[in-house]
Amino acid sequence: MSTATTTHDQEAFNLKEWIFTTDHKRIGVMYLIGSMAAFAVAGMMALMMRLEQANIGAQFIETGTDYNEWLYFHGAAMILAFLIPGLTGFAANYFLPLMIGAADVAFPRINAFSIWLFYFAIVLALLSVVVPDTPDIMWTGYPPYAVTTEGNTSFYVFTVHLLGFSSILGAVNFLVTVIYMRAPGMGWNQLNIFVWTTLAAFVLQLVFIPVLAAAVTLLLFDKYLGTHFFDPAAGGDVLLYQNLFWFYSHPAVYVIFLPAVGILFEIIATMAKNQIFNYKVCVYGGIGGVVAIGGEVWIHHLYVTGMPDWLRIGMMISTLLISVPVGLIVMSLWGTLWRAAISYNVAMMYSVAMLYLIMVGGLTGIPLAMTSLTVHLSETSFIHAHFHFIMGLFSTYAVFAAVYYWFPKMTGRMADNGWARISFWLNFIGINVTFWPLFIIGPQGMPRRYWNYEMFPQFEAYHEVATVGAFLTAAGVAIMIINWITSAISGPKAPANPWNSRSLEWTHAPNPPGPGNFPEAVTVADDWTPYDYNK
Amino acid sequence: MKLKRFFSVLNGAAMALLFATPAFAAAGDTPDTRADWDELWHEVLVDITVIGVIFIVAAIYMLIRFKATNPEQVGTATRLTTANAIGWALIPAAIFMADDFYLAAKGWTVWDHQRTVPENAMEVKVTGYQWYWEFEYEDGTTTDELKVPVGTPVVLRMTSDDVIHSFGLPYYRLTEDVMPGRITYIWFNPIEEVETLVTCREFCGNSHSEMFTAVEAIAPAEFEKWLAEQG
Amino acid sequence: MLKVRTLITGMLLCSTFAISTARAQYNRVPESYIDPSTFQIDEQKVLGVKVDKNLALIDESGQPFTLGEKLGKPLILVLSYYTCDGSCSVINADLRDRLEGVTDLKMGKDFEVLTISFDKQDNLEKLGVFKKHLEDTEKLGKGWSFATFKDSEQIKPFADRLGFNYFWSPTDRTFFHPGAFLFLSAEGRLIRVLYSQTVESKDVELAVFDAKQGKFRPNEIINFATSLCYSYNYKEGRYTYNIPLFVAVGSLTFGVTAFSGSVFVFRRRRKEREKKLET
Repeated sequence: MSTATTTHDQEAFNLKEWIFTTDHKRIGVMYLIGSMAAFAVAGMMALMMRLEQANIGAQFIETGTDYNEWLYFHGAAMILAFLIPGLTGFAANYFLPLMIGAADVAFPRINAFSIWLFYFAIVLALLSVVVPDTPDIMWTGYPPYAVTTEGNTSFYVFTVHLLGFSSILGAVNFLVTVIYMRAPGMGWNQLNIFVWTTLAAFVLQLVFIPVLAAAVTLLLFDKYLGTHFFDPAAGGDVLLYQNLFWFYSHPAVYVIFLPAVGILFEIIATMAKNQIFNYKVCVYGGIGGVVAIGGEVWIHHLYVTGMPDWLRIGMMISTLLISVPVGLIVMSLWGTLWRAAISYNVAMMYSVAMLYLIMVGGLTGIPLAMTSLTVHLSETSFIHAHFHFIMGLFSTYAVFAAVYYWFPKMTGRMADNGWARISFWLNFIGINVTFWPLFIIGPQGMPRRYWNYEMFPQFEAYHEVATVGAFLTAAGVAIMIINWITSAISGPKAPANPWNSRSLEWTHAPNPPGPGNFPEAVTVADDWTPYDYNK
Repeated sequence: MKLKRFFSVLNGAAMALLFATPAFAAAGDTPDTRADWDELWHEVLVDITVIGVIFIVAAIYMLIRFKATNPEQVGTATRLTTANAIGWALIPAAIFMADDFYLAAKGWTVWDHQRTVPENAMEVKVTGYQWYWEFEYEDGTTTDELKVPVGTPVVLRMTSDDVIHSFGLPYYRLTEDVMPGRITYIWFNPIEEVETLVTCREFCGNSHSEMFTAVEAIAPAEFEKWLAEQG
Repeated sequence: MLKVRTLITGMLLCSTFAISTARAQYNRVPESYIDPSTFQIDEQKVLGVKVDKNLALIDESGQPFTLGEKLGKPLILVLSYYTCDGSCSVINADLRDRLEGVTDLKMGKDFEVLTISFDKQDNLEKLGVFKKHLEDTEKLGKGWSFATFKDSEQIKPFADRLGFNYFWSPTDRTFFHPGAFLFLSAEGRLIRVLYSQTVESKDVELAVFDAKQGKFRPNEIINFATSLCYSYNYKEGRYTYNIPLFVAVGSLTFGVTAFSGSVFVFRRRRKEREKKLET
């Protein structure tokens, strides 16, 4: 084991080898780098927006369109180029084959093609910021605005196409990998929860992405080829686009949420040295339930669009019922802490923060599920804070926690130091300072997506506080990234299994794993599970 | 299959309720949907706060109580028996579902109030433009701010001339999108004199955040005078 | 008489062309005729308008009733006049023919039809003659009523509210008016305007679906689905396929097939491999 580590470690860095690699681990790292680049730029946009909003009136924008362009990039990049690739690209690529004891994914070359597409998309997305007419259509691209605007909608559409194609290839690849390449003896009920959640996310991607791709393609035709698919004057239907968009994009929330939950389970089970509470119910009832109901609730994004009243009520009920599978997942998370033996590292600190985020973010979703309350809460800063908690922050913390937790695996070194803790606290305090004011002023009428709020002067103090919070978070993130880089270069050497995990990637593979992952072929016993600490 | 039947029953119930709601509500008992919203909001806040506090306290307790005392220590939770596993699935699921249905029923009642326009409502046509609102009263008068007489429910018949906007009335706890080629409705009950505003709540481009105007409920006599002056 | 009828039908067709894309036909109408926009109803302005439920009318048997009594389900409203032996019977006959082709809905049960005269001179006798002339409306089922205004003073305001312009031309000794079918919702709101001679049975059916305002009963799920497949085309004055929906359903099918296909193929491959290992 140790020889494998040293030989791999001492290989000289070779850029060509990285670009043309078919190794799932290198591809995973490339996904992390690409998605963190998108995160950094999109995060800067968020800071600029918060600065603009800090006080009433224009602070440093020339027209509202400047602000709208940041809005577009922040949303589109965070979701499409950071969260989805960060979780289903980086985390799934690097850890899923290791967890199931596979030497690589089923189709390594297709995997390499996926990362190329992803990088093309990232480049295209970043280019859209510097072209004269940056898209200004939110990440949703609703017509008719997306068609009539001066902004360059095509950048948005092509970015979605590239990322969608990349995701579909990834989905087929990973589904086959999990079905076909599990270590001999590994049954379905012995899989890591992360494997299950990734599987669920890829099923959703495969089934629903084509619908989004079709919708944005028709949008492109409307704008550049003069068709009228969504033009009401000529027989189009403006609402249909929204239906199609959310038909994909609500499941997309689970594409992000589920792998994040999977990472949370891995870290909590390991750090609590406990088995997953009610594993089968969590997998089949919780994760399976989210996949089953996830496709039938999209109308809750259209509660105020004049859809038939009965449809809005029907989807209110199905949306509320999402709380049942999510509740089962939460029960398993909490249950895993029962009679545990918890030790704390930075990854576990992020995980505890995630327990808080899932609780606050999930519960604030309940009033939003209710049609009769959403008619007022819709498009206020309340909903803005809600989805930042449950989707944005929860899943971002999952990526950060994953990097800390598997840092020794990826680099052979430790990143768990004082700086990591300082950055965590700055970040965690920062997000609360940013979003709690927004939770408060939302129900009082503060609309989201506003750079100017001269009609609500009473909210200025809240916005000032929120802006301070955003900078605390940014400082935390900056320290964290510097810490990652310095630790990867010169951090202390990590022991083989620093957290005493029972999962295959820690017990059977060296740090970092070389080509082929496992020095010896892995087989697992009938009664083995990744969580059997108490044996 | 079961789910389908469930939803068809549900749909049937929805229809029954929609058609059963009295179409002719007397002027005296016009619901105050603003108060309805506030009441429901507070109930839901209590509901989610209770759930949140229970879970967060439980988490904090376990995170402290079950801290490992030495690195070799492992968790001692045992595998659930089948009966326990099913119980730990069904009982929480039943509790969550009960809460869901309780909230759904509450929300449905308010929804009916919000969607049942009183017969005696005054009609105003609203048109959204990039980036301003236009109001047209029944006598053909058009204005750029909305004034309504206290005591008469107001129904807004809304459409857009260009892109999608959304008519957000924070004071009356209402929002509904306005779209080209489609007509949408909301109604509200101005029960006291108040000066408030409407903001655009759907992203509509450059001056989205400046698309607001005054909404005032004034005394009926004053309203008549004002309307006459506009023409 | 035949000449007048042809003339008026021709005019109606012109109004059709005025709202359709075939504007070239407009040039064939002599200058002395009226502005074709008279035949149009400005939808942008009047869609969603609520009619007066208390409007007093008199039915074909001379009994008074209010417009509200005909509401409660979608209502197709036709404004015409009974001494008119030209376009009015053409409009009503056209509606009758279109309704004959409507198979998924039953007149009287799912919707009502009401023809009202806007001519102050019309009386019961003229109504009877007109109705007889029209023939066969009862064959479609009960639910098509003919009426006159009780108070002729209310005619003009009622028509104005719906954006329905009409006027008497002394030279032609006839009324000029839009050949419109007005679709009202159960609450009496104007939901859709279709024009005679330009629409097909399908359009009439879809406009009734629109007038239901989404209130479909569970056993009408097919009708609801049908209504989703089309959307109203203001430019062409008829319903056209809602193409993105079909594209989306196709994409979804592609996604589901891709998923189930890959699972199927690899299950089979694994079985084959296992078989090989056994042998």
